[in-house]
Amino acid sequence: MTTTSSADIAIAATGISKRFGGALAVDDVSLRIAPGEIHSIVGENGAGKSTLMRVMAGIIESDSGSVEVFGTPVDPGTRAAIDAGIALVHQELSLVPEMTVAENILLGAFPTRFGFTRYKDLKEIAANALAEIGVSVDLDERVSRLSVALRQFVEIARAVARQPKVLILDEPTATLTPAETDYLLRMLSRLAEGGMAIAYISHRIPEVFEISSNVTILRDGRQVLTAPIADLTPQEVIDNMVGRELKEDLQTHRDATPGEVVLRATDIEAPRVNSVTLEVRAGEIVGLGGLVGAGRSELVRAIIGADNRTAGRVTLTRNGRSVTLSSYTSAVRNGVGYVPEERRTDGLALIMTVSDNIRLPNRQQLSRFGIKAPRKIAEFAQELADKVGLRPPEIEREAGQYSGGNQQKVVLAKWLGRRPDFMVLDEPTRGVDVGAKAEIHRLVKEMADNGTAVLVVSSDLPELLELSDVIHVMRDGRITGSLTREDATEQSVMTLAAGEAEAVA
Amino acid sequence: MSTTISLGADESTGTWGRIRRTASRRTEGRGIVLLTFIIIMVALLEPLALTAYDVTLGRIALIGIVALGLTAVILMGELDLSVASTLAVAGVIMASIPDLALGIVAALVAGLVVGVINAFFVAVIGINSFIATLGTLFALRGLAFVLSNEAPVSLANKDAGIAFGQPLIGPLTPRILIFILVFIAIQLFVSRVRTGREFFAVGGNRQAARDAGIPVNKRIFTGFMISGFVAALAGVINTLERTTADPTAGSTVLLASFAAAIIGGNYLKGGRGSIIGTLIGAASLGILQVALTISGVQVPIQQIYIGVILLLAVTTDPTSLRAVRGSLRTFRQSRMKTPDG
Repeated sequence: MTTTSSADIAIAATGISKRFGGALAVDDVSLRIAPGEIHSIVGENGAGKSTLMRVMAGIIESDSGSVEVFGTPVDPGTRAAIDAGIALVHQELSLVPEMTVAENILLGAFPTRFGFTRYKDLKEIAANALAEIGVSVDLDERVSRLSVALRQFVEIARAVARQPKVLILDEPTATLTPAETDYLLRMLSRLAEGGMAIAYISHRIPEVFEISSNVTILRDGRQVLTAPIADLTPQEVIDNMVGRELKEDLQTHRDATPGEVVLRATDIEAPRVNSVTLEVRAGEIVGLGGLVGAGRSELVRAIIGADNRTAGRVTLTRNGRSVTLSSYTSAVRNGVGYVPEERRTDGLALIMTVSDNIRLPNRQQLSRFGIKAPRKIAEFAQELADKVGLRPPEIEREAGQYSGGNQQKVVLAKWLGRRPDFMVLDEPTRGVDVGAKAEIHRLVKEMADNGTAVLVVSSDLPELLELSDVIHVMRDGRITGSLTREDATEQSVMTLAAGEAEAVA
Repeated sequence: MSTTISLGADESTGTWGRIRRTASRRTEGRGIVLLTFIIIMVALLEPLALTAYDVTLGRIALIGIVALGLTAVILMGELDLSVASTLAVAGVIMASIPDLALGIVAALVAGLVVGVINAFFVAVIGINSFIATLGTLFALRGLAFVLSNEAPVSLANKDAGIAFGQPLIGPLTPRILIFILVFIAIQLFVSRVRTGREFFAVGGNRQAARDAGIPVNKRIFTGFMISGFVAALAGVINTLERTTADPTAGSTVLLASFAAAIIGGNYLKGGRGSIIGTLIGAASLGILQVALTISGVQVPIQQIYIGVILLLAVTTDPTSLRAVRGSLRTFRQSRMKTPDG
């Protein structure tokens, strides 16, 4: 090893640039992380964080710049990066559902003798990796049968099993509950104490302040700032991310004047849902809080008929006329809108244009004698795209080319056009940047102001508190408590969600 | 600081819990149920199909061998429609070469070459495997006719063929023995050999496989080469047993081998299934066909039975069953309830 200073740096990425088509995704970014350092990379969606990380992990090749690990240049390619000691925990889970936990942890690196897998060694290494991160799970269990949180930890175990010098995590907490997040952060601090260099991407500013020693802020692919975290305040970080003074309109509720009951769900039973009854009024936003796995998504899917319910009755009342909802088709036909948790798979046709996506649920009003009316569609789609603040507002672009936040706006635009009587939103701002989040909140409130009954599922407590007029908190498939706007605090929601004994904030 | 965290894993313990969990991990369940059902029915109605087990085993080997190779490709989420044509071409090539050993080697090499061509279109050019192998299906069938001048080619060494049809060990003919060997080899390959086990990763989550550094394209080449080689091997066996190579050979093989793989619980989108499942599927079909033939059921009627069983096998998949139960319930509910108000 040489004695130059670069040899003391675990990973040094210098002058990285990457162009996708016409757009510069990463523009001359340099990053140095020392062993034992947790370095956070923050920025809005589309700022280039993931691209930068993927370049560092060898998944995509940069147009210019170099990556060195302890002073040794790393060749392009995943294999070379892995061999150099760089491990990436992906944003989208990259596990193989039908392989076991142990096999997933050592995917691509099975220990073999004459080509035959040595399952004893395989399990031993996997068990050690899991022990190192303090997670206990059956090594022979298939990943398809694990909870989302557990899969996330298996993913991390996979990275740790390779005993990397550099660990890169791309938004690992996006799908975790507060308790799980807390656990993960402590685990990362422990790994860093052991000498690992950690690059940590997150949207959640408090996490960044909790664990990192340095932070790099990216905006539009450019490196705005790299500084010790101690020199910054959360507000400064956010201001630098968005590049404009952003007033987080937290705790600025609307003045809701709920009307008649639009949705009444009685004694709903479904897998992971136990006899839940709830009502949503016109113009009211009802929030569903709770930990991941409490049955919230299952409940809303059972209510609108997207999944089967084993018992219970759902009635939708509008203009004094009631209908019983028995299937998703009948729900949509009767004025129900649904923005699912998995927007990439359930909410949007990514290879279709924005305009086509918006047109789909609005076919009837956009056709003349069953034939589509292109001018009308264009006007309609453009109006909605402008309304939701799609950036850039090009309705003929493929939806898949937009960032997560903008994709979510397209999903909202789709339903806005129908003026639904009852709207269900499941984690509407997960993985969405701060700016888009504020706009989505504004749209949801506007929808309620126009008389729509809204039901929101969110694991993001500030969001839940900001949007909801009433919060029902679920635990183990039941509503364990309901809070009005006046009583609801992060503390009171968490207490109900976690149960008295484990009420930790 | 706490050292463990509850993440909602299935923590059921005890013998029964362990058995249940192990069972839920397997994919052969419905295949086993179907096979048991068929064996019981055949034992009651046409026991001859079981007592004449050498005939039945021969039938299973005929259906199964191509299906075993095909499963390697299906596990990766790809299809190989060219297997039956490969079988025919390999047979014709073999019979056209006077020297028996040379002919066999040439036929098997042809199978590997077909695999390479298929994999080239799928992995390198990036064509959907259904389309790519549909192309080779037609091209190879045509080639078989051209090479044979549109007529069956007789094997030069007829004695070798006749000897090949005789039992070798006990009642087991070489065909059955080869089938068993191929089964063991491929089963070991996909369950114990790293390369084969990685087929599940390629089929289950291709991006994850790539990101983990698995050479996905190489695996696709290996898979198609296995499928092509095994199909050619089946062609060699057929030619030996019949002492002629028919360019139209294998017309029923393609669909029967897909049926065997599907009945055995192999998921056509890949990543889920097993070689044992395919064996069970082939056994179900083989026993059924022999029993029906002995009972004098006409071939068209037999095909109706196979079709029904295929559909039954797929709808009785645990996940499908749950969906069917749910849909029926919702349907009933929607009939019973009338809109109020």
